[in-house]
Amino acid sequence: MGRLVLHRLGATIPVLLLVTAGVFSLLHLTPGDPIDVMMAESVDATVKANLRRELGLDRPIAVQYVAWMGRVLRGDLGRSVRNGEPVIENVGRRIRPSLQLALLAMAISLLIAAPVALASAVRRNTSIDRAGTTFALFGICMPNFLLALLLIFFFGVTLRWLPVSGYTDPAEDLIAGVRSLVLPAVTLGLALAAVITRTLRSSLLEALTEDYVRTARAKGLSEWAVIRAHVLRNALIPVVTVLGLQLGTLIGGAVITEYVFGLPGVGRLVVDAVFARDYPLVQGVVLLIAAGFIASNLLVDLLYGWIDPRIRIR
Amino acid sequence: MAAMEPGRNAQSVSRRAFLGWCAAASGAPAAVLGARRAEAQAPAPKKGGTLRVGFYIEAATMDPHLSGSKIDRQVYHNIYEPLVTLDVRLGIKPGLAESWTQPDVRTLVFKLRRGVKFHDGTDFNAEAAKFNFNRMKTEPKSVRKGEVASIDSVDVVDPYTIKINLKRPDAALLATLTDRAGMMVSPKVIQERGSELERNAKGAGTGPFEFVEWVKDDHLVIKRNEAYWNKQGGPYLDRIRYRPIPDDTVKLQSLQAGEIDVMDYVAPRDVAAVKADRNIVVVDVPSLAAFSYQLNTTRPPFNAKALRQAVAYSLDLDQIVKGVWLNVGVPANGPVPPSSWAYDRTIPPIKRDLARAKAKLAEGGQPNGFGFTMTTANIPINIQEAEVIQAQLGEAGIAMKIKLVDAATQLANGNSRNFDMISYQWSGRPDPDGNSYQFFKTTPGTSLNWSGISNPQIDALLDRTRETFNAAERKKLFSDLTRILQDELPMIYIVHPIEPKAFAPRVQGYEPIPDGMMRFKDVWLK
Amino acid sequence: MAGSTPGSGFAEPAATLARADAAPVRDRRWEVVRRAARARLAPFGAAVLLLALVAALGAPLLAPYDPVKQDLGHALAPPGRAHLLGTDSIGRDVLSRMIWGTRVSLVAGFVSVAIAAATGCVLGILAGYAGGRVDGLVMRLMDAVLSFPPLVLALALGAVLGAGLTGVLIALGVVYTPTFARLMRGQVLAIKAREYVDASRALGASGWRVACRHVLPNATAPIVVQASLSVAFAILAEASLSFLGLGIQPPAASWGSMINAGRGYLQQAPWIVFGPGAALFVTVVGLNFVGDAIRDALDPRLRT
Repeated sequence: MGRLVLHRLGATIPVLLLVTAGVFSLLHLTPGDPIDVMMAESVDATVKANLRRELGLDRPIAVQYVAWMGRVLRGDLGRSVRNGEPVIENVGRRIRPSLQLALLAMAISLLIAAPVALASAVRRNTSIDRAGTTFALFGICMPNFLLALLLIFFFGVTLRWLPVSGYTDPAEDLIAGVRSLVLPAVTLGLALAAVITRTLRSSLLEALTEDYVRTARAKGLSEWAVIRAHVLRNALIPVVTVLGLQLGTLIGGAVITEYVFGLPGVGRLVVDAVFARDYPLVQGVVLLIAAGFIASNLLVDLLYGWIDPRIRIR
Repeated sequence: MAAMEPGRNAQSVSRRAFLGWCAAASGAPAAVLGARRAEAQAPAPKKGGTLRVGFYIEAATMDPHLSGSKIDRQVYHNIYEPLVTLDVRLGIKPGLAESWTQPDVRTLVFKLRRGVKFHDGTDFNAEAAKFNFNRMKTEPKSVRKGEVASIDSVDVVDPYTIKINLKRPDAALLATLTDRAGMMVSPKVIQERGSELERNAKGAGTGPFEFVEWVKDDHLVIKRNEAYWNKQGGPYLDRIRYRPIPDDTVKLQSLQAGEIDVMDYVAPRDVAAVKADRNIVVVDVPSLAAFSYQLNTTRPPFNAKALRQAVAYSLDLDQIVKGVWLNVGVPANGPVPPSSWAYDRTIPPIKRDLARAKAKLAEGGQPNGFGFTMTTANIPINIQEAEVIQAQLGEAGIAMKIKLVDAATQLANGNSRNFDMISYQWSGRPDPDGNSYQFFKTTPGTSLNWSGISNPQIDALLDRTRETFNAAERKKLFSDLTRILQDELPMIYIVHPIEPKAFAPRVQGYEPIPDGMMRFKDVWLK
Repeated sequence: MAGSTPGSGFAEPAATLARADAAPVRDRRWEVVRRAARARLAPFGAAVLLLALVAALGAPLLAPYDPVKQDLGHALAPPGRAHLLGTDSIGRDVLSRMIWGTRVSLVAGFVSVAIAAATGCVLGILAGYAGGRVDGLVMRLMDAVLSFPPLVLALALGAVLGAGLTGVLIALGVVYTPTFARLMRGQVLAIKAREYVDASRALGASGWRVACRHVLPNATAPIVVQASLSVAFAILAEASLSFLGLGIQPPAASWGSMINAGRGYLQQAPWIVFGPGAALFVTVVGLNFVGDAIRDALDPRLRT
């Protein structure tokens, strides 16, 4: 197991190198540069040239990449071109809303998915079941930007129950914070709920056929007691896995949701940085997102092996 | 003061105000009258409250000498003060300088206001002013260098008088000093925490409000300066809280939902609906902006003047302004906006004339029409405008392709002259010089002259506008320039937009200046 | 690598689906039930797909108006007799644009998946067959693509290639490639172990020959299944990109770009968004049914 982890960690190094080299070359192939964007209405060529020199943007790409890599290895992700702020601080600040959004979306998805999946599984092949599976399919097929627009339209503008945009840190003001996160969390959570409904329903059905369940039933336990005592816990394992995998994607991947709702999260940060050609910021964030993604994959793989030795990884 | 009546009246008043703006160019003071009436009805201002302002993007830096972003100025105009400021008709009025004289065309003498203190308690005086100009000229990262390029040196005459020595006559300098280039920052703050100033402007300004905190991506708060030197009027507000809301629709919804009190800009598509909303007050602020397209005169097809003209004569500006801008703007006759004293209303915008366009196509050697690509920003209203232009040109046999790019690509394409026709939305400057010189002057190297126009007649005219100090004479020069540009057509001007701002009805006392900056000194909450 | 095969993280829901499919499910009885359910839904899916194909192919005949014909005097007209689904902000017929937009969506869905499947299969065969260093390199490359934020990839590719459908097709193609490469590699490894491959090798057939002769035909079924399921999500992804303004260039329309253009008018003219929104949703649902049906028909082993 230990060797396996080491091996997998070793394999991530070339991946991260490829990712960073890829983003580096893509960015530099892209027309435009950060100084032009920053000083769009200024025509002073010498000022711009000085700034480029100071930031090292006048050097060949390969040299810039090696220099950047060198700094990264020493733990320095550099500073944003636009506002001079260290990349790590920038990400640190932006990851809070992203994380909160992801967690709330997961909570909401579980709240929806658990009863739906349970009803579907227990009353399988009935109209309840069909309604549940149809819901799951629709949730997956619903484009989230459309859902976001509809939610804003109905709950924010028409009913005015919830704020349509902006972010309050729940740590500062719990109620205002949660209110600011509800609509985006529902947007993300609904699709997630659909996935979890599917997963949970199948795993419940599987668990319901196990021998110990039959034994429990034979002992005369009520259906609900059987489910509570024997089925639910086992059936939740794949759900936990799905959630774990999603966390990596939701942080940094919820670009559209963050955009439409004006949440200052990691996804929006990276897109804004691309538009501003803020090279160090894009590179830093992409590196961190990729590392996070790889880490969550690795974790889930290990978790799998630990939960169920039968599916231990090759 | 102007047009801040609640409810339905807002529309008629603001329309009147806007016509007034245009009239102001020809000398009729309609806007001010309309405003006075509103003021007379208004109850007395009272102190207190927090004003919540929604802006389209977050500020970039708090250091006016390093700022290259338009949005920063919105905050600056409340915490910093320039030597001179603009009045509602773009005239120059005293700011931190009480008065100024011009002994000769190369000298400008400012008498500074006494008793002004920076928020850190230090005095504002001639030494401080000189320090600021030196920093703008020498700081390596200074973005103000170009704006103060005509300044050779600054002398301290006495503790409250400075003399600015110019390298060359610069009639536009005074107007330039109404903004960031004229803003005075505490020398002590710069010396002690210069690098931190970008993020934290505590103690740095002299303005009616002082910096409190800036939580990036979330909010920026300023509070009333209790020791403000000007005892007339405000500041009344306890605090102002700025919030970035990038999406126009969402920002409007936030205003409707009562989450903010002020929004910096209402998109044309929303103007009618917002004006019909009794809970929102709209103020039409005519802007200094000129939205246009630059035509690449250095390569085919637009190196042929006749083909540039063919495009211009094929366009129906009235239809564009009505159909795309929904009349939230006026068709443009050239670079000078109607809000400027230099605007010449006797020059009509170019009229659509398909027969003439056909003749010009033949003259340009393309009797059956030709094809080219328009590069424009990936923004809904730009796309709409491009689509309408495409249809109009199609009727003249000109096949235009549309290429959408992001802002950075647009700048790169423009600077490298890698385009046929490219959109250019200039936010405008108070002096007409800022809307013309850098676009049409023959300048090697970097400039906003993307069209590559180089015309001795235009160059000579532009130089004379900088050496002429008599306003009437300067106005005539800009009229001549506008006429030549309508023939030469390095750029095709489309619209001078209006930039409506929207308020919750409890917001009182806002005075719209056409530079679009929201100065909250005299604003109060009912 | 049990659960670590994220399909595409493009549109957010797309990412989630692939994971759902990856979840281990083994119940047989449940299978029968689902198959029955699908049997009822597959015709619906087929009908939707057929309708979309007809709309795409017959757009010039079916659309009541020229999709780019403007009428500024009748902008934002509500649905009515003249314009069944109303008009947009510059007076174009929403229904006609929607019908023409079907082309874009279907092209985006099918072409990008075709690109991904072709590239992925070649890389998968290469990796699986060559093994060793080549295998390592290819698969690390695929891992890199997977861990690259897809939207950044699309943004940058769009800026490099110039915005437009081509850029979107390539970006989507790149994003979906790893899924196919991994699938193909797995197939190759499985088939390589079988005897008849060894036999033909012993007879002196070259590596590529073996690959083309034996591996490809055997791997077709799972690839087709994966492709049919990916199309729906490629359509969603194209719409997301168009929603961000990265897709097709004006004046042509795609569903995503129509929704983007209409979002500012949600209060005044919701029909601009609702028409293409409904079309998008129904098409994706329908394609999912069809994909499920194809899976059942082609490869019972892959059933979930």
